[in-house]
Amino acid sequence: MSDSTLKPIDRRRFLETMGAAGAVTLAAPAFGRAQVREVKVGYILPVTGPLAFEAQLALNGIQQAVDEINGAGGIKSLGGARITLLPGDTQNKVELGNSEAARLIDQGVTAIIGPFSSLVAFSVRQVTEKNKTPFLLLATVADNVLEGGLRYTFRMQPNARAMATLTVGNMIEMAKAAGTPIKRVAIMHEDGNFGTTMGNHVEAFAGKMGYELVQRVPYNLRSPDFTAELSKVKAARPDLLLISGYYGDSKIIAETAGKLRIGVHALVGLANAAYSNPRFIAENRELTDHLFDGNYWHNPQSPRARAVFEAYQKRFSSVMSNHGVQGYQVTFVLKDALERAASTDREKVRDAISKTNLTDHILTQDAIRFDEAGENVNATPALLQVQGAKPVVVGPARFVEAKPVFPVPKWKG
Amino acid sequence: MAGRLAIAVGLAGLVAGPPLLPKYVLEVLISILFFAYLGASWNILGGYGGQFSFGHAAFFGIGAYTSTLLFLQLGVSPWLGMLAGGGLAAAFGLFAGYLSFRYGLRGPYFSLVTLAFAEMLRVVAVNWKAVGSSLGLVVPRRGSAPLHFVFAGKLPYYYVILGMVLGALAICRAIERSRMGYALVAVRENEDAAEAAGVNALATKLSAMAASSFLTALGGTFYAQYFAYIDPSLTFGPAISIGGLLPAIVGGAGTVIGPLLGSFVLTPVSELTRAALRGRAGADIMLYGLILILVISFLPNGLVGWLRGRRPAAGRAA
Amino acid sequence: MTWLFFQAVVSGLLLGGVYGLVASGLSLIFGVLRIINFAHGAVMMLGMYASYWLFVLLGVDPYLSILLTGPLFFGIGVLIQRLVIEPNRAAAEHNQLLITLGLALFFENLALVLWQGDFRTLRVSYSGASFMLGDVLVEVPRLIAAGGALLIALALWAFLRWTDAGKAIRALSEEQEGARLVGIDVARMRGAAFGIGSACVAVAGALVTPFFYIAPDVGESFNIMAFVVVVLGGMGNFLGALLGGFIVGLAESLGAAFLPGSLKQLVVFALFVIVLLLRPQGLFGARGGR
Repeated sequence: MSDSTLKPIDRRRFLETMGAAGAVTLAAPAFGRAQVREVKVGYILPVTGPLAFEAQLALNGIQQAVDEINGAGGIKSLGGARITLLPGDTQNKVELGNSEAARLIDQGVTAIIGPFSSLVAFSVRQVTEKNKTPFLLLATVADNVLEGGLRYTFRMQPNARAMATLTVGNMIEMAKAAGTPIKRVAIMHEDGNFGTTMGNHVEAFAGKMGYELVQRVPYNLRSPDFTAELSKVKAARPDLLLISGYYGDSKIIAETAGKLRIGVHALVGLANAAYSNPRFIAENRELTDHLFDGNYWHNPQSPRARAVFEAYQKRFSSVMSNHGVQGYQVTFVLKDALERAASTDREKVRDAISKTNLTDHILTQDAIRFDEAGENVNATPALLQVQGAKPVVVGPARFVEAKPVFPVPKWKG
Repeated sequence: MAGRLAIAVGLAGLVAGPPLLPKYVLEVLISILFFAYLGASWNILGGYGGQFSFGHAAFFGIGAYTSTLLFLQLGVSPWLGMLAGGGLAAAFGLFAGYLSFRYGLRGPYFSLVTLAFAEMLRVVAVNWKAVGSSLGLVVPRRGSAPLHFVFAGKLPYYYVILGMVLGALAICRAIERSRMGYALVAVRENEDAAEAAGVNALATKLSAMAASSFLTALGGTFYAQYFAYIDPSLTFGPAISIGGLLPAIVGGAGTVIGPLLGSFVLTPVSELTRAALRGRAGADIMLYGLILILVISFLPNGLVGWLRGRRPAAGRAA
Repeated sequence: MTWLFFQAVVSGLLLGGVYGLVASGLSLIFGVLRIINFAHGAVMMLGMYASYWLFVLLGVDPYLSILLTGPLFFGIGVLIQRLVIEPNRAAAEHNQLLITLGLALFFENLALVLWQGDFRTLRVSYSGASFMLGDVLVEVPRLIAAGGALLIALALWAFLRWTDAGKAIRALSEEQEGARLVGIDVARMRGAAFGIGSACVAVAGALVTPFFYIAPDVGESFNIMAFVVVVLGGMGNFLGALLGGFIVGLAESLGAAFLPGSLKQLVVFALFVIVLLLRPQGLFGARGGR
């Protein structure tokens, strides 16, 4: 699938992929409606380079959404205009992010989706702001990306602060209900932007949320051994250990924490790249059992979400990831704005996005609405736990799939 | 003569061309000039001096952080902060250089110690909350404030970096023809013999280090102002260290035009390989690595050395 | 915190054993070829992938895979040396260094192209095994890795000391011209040295797969450590590299246990700089001078 997703979709492709999306109605034959407009939407993602794998997953979601929208008749308020997806490859580099965004803007895109890395986002948002082009953030977690009074940047997913505070809050609630309160919290995080941001929030909210941060350990994510770091954590006797890390390091940490009998009620990932990752769970059954993770997720109760997952499975022969969910949903946020704007004018679309009040979505939250800064006010991470070799939603209450297992005996000392 | 004409035409093109160029070509051009500048700065110590530093990012980062912190905390214009950054970097360079040269580190040992210094600064920055740790620093870049090194468009930044490159090349040329230049080359070719001939090798190398580190730090400020965001891995990381020395080596270390030539070749090569190999993660860098091996194997004196070698020229290219 | 101290010591020594094997290979390469091989970590990464695929496709236990990957990477090392490094042996030092850098870029991205960037892990029956030495945790895969590394390094040392080929290589690292004069096939020995160094590091890679992860950039952390260890132990000093490995592993682990933040890296680099400045021939002295 990767090659085709990098070329602009032509009309014939729409027809071919229609079947997969389920809807087969086409408004008119290809040559009949030559004046049907297209809406150009650009994406900038690290589709080549070290993040290519995750980027592709997100792109799959965007692709699926675009095909679904076009298959159902395109943007109705624009007379059935189809979305044309224009590719941009950042290779996770700032200069490329800028040049690709500039190029897409030159090519006339109405909006840009991307760019994954917060680093790239910092820079690209200048370009989009200057060119008054709506920029819908995807997988960009750093808080300050929306700082500075930008008008054209929007973030649909929970930012780092929401991720940290809501996840910890959920765990504290759960602990209270289970009769084993959480008073002492420790966090291990990778020492880059992502981990440090999470660590800062967990530290900053300690007093307010009623817990004591007994140990905070930033670590170098390339290290092959975290025994010393985990020993430091164990020595501080926490009730809960949070881990903000990437795939490989999180695996080693979970492994060593278990063997060390770290002594916590639960091990909780904070937007962890591994702990709710189906492949990680499949490859490490026993290790991952009962791991928690606060992360981006879809609403398991939503029939639409189920349909979307089925369609994804059929088309991409794999389970939709949370990157795919984000990609899918953010495309629909744009679609909703386009419908309301009834125009491809960037300013009008920008205004429409800012007035979004979307309830028909597949996320674990109330309506999608953006505040002055462009943050999604109701963005809520899901609290997941690995049960029966798959991640299930155990919080917030109205999205729950299963009851949580808490405290988790195997982490006890 | 053909060379001079080429240079004049090239210069004219660089000055007059950009307002006519599409946005992303301008971006690439700025990138080319940026790395050419870093290469030229590195060249003073590495090419002319023969002290192959693998850690020039240390100075780059010091420059970027100094001017940015002065700007954010005290409102000092980056034009001035730049000089402060340069001074600090030169001081650090002299410190590191003195230790290294005094203890007789040469060749790969010197390279490794410079690598270590850069990495140490990176780790310190990552763990230092006051400089933003891994969250980095955002440089305000809205609107236009030329006195604060903030411009609304790309074109002004282009001319700034163009000026910086030309300035650096002019400095290299001046050094090349000065006593210091001769002393540097003598030390590079045979330090012991140079010492015997009365050259103070330590002082010579330290002067080169001071100049090189000062100039590199200015590049750090440019980066901060242009990209409006800095963090430890961007500024102290190997990408900058390597990215700065490659154009100089490929173009011709120890020559004036080398770094510019090298950057004009390397940057488009990486752009072209990327464009040609879209869709295959990593294929472009693979090709880039291969090209690098080939270029260095077959053009050991860089492009300038190769070009000069084709004429029965006097003197060996550095 | 005595428990913390002993735990850090034990984990540090275990990891240090692996660093030692990685560094031994690098040290040998430097001793004989006089180049700083920036592609060392990349070769380790390729070795890890080789063991990974042997495990996934043919069910070969990673520790047993070294019987295959060892010779394989010896051959690959010889090939690399013949094709890329030997032709440039008279080039300036920094050019040779950059060539190994180009190789590193090439290999890392070759892995990215072939196998994508997602992390892979392999699990064997003893991946989860561990035992306690008093209050101190010892993880079985790490113990096996350290033990294996030590054995292989010692075997190699014995090879260098007591076999003809080994003596020839050592002679070469001490005195190139002299070696040639006594009839040693210098070119062949250089290839062999690079081959042995590559085999060492590929095998070290195999040893860590049961507890580490596999990805295209996974060699980078070991690369840096290897340089530090080699400098500490003395360039070209094989046994020094082993001992240096333990020292670096210890320093890193104690740094992690007792310093705030992720400053453990600083400890390692500080050690590196201090040794480079004060005792560049290494703590245990170098072979054949600087």
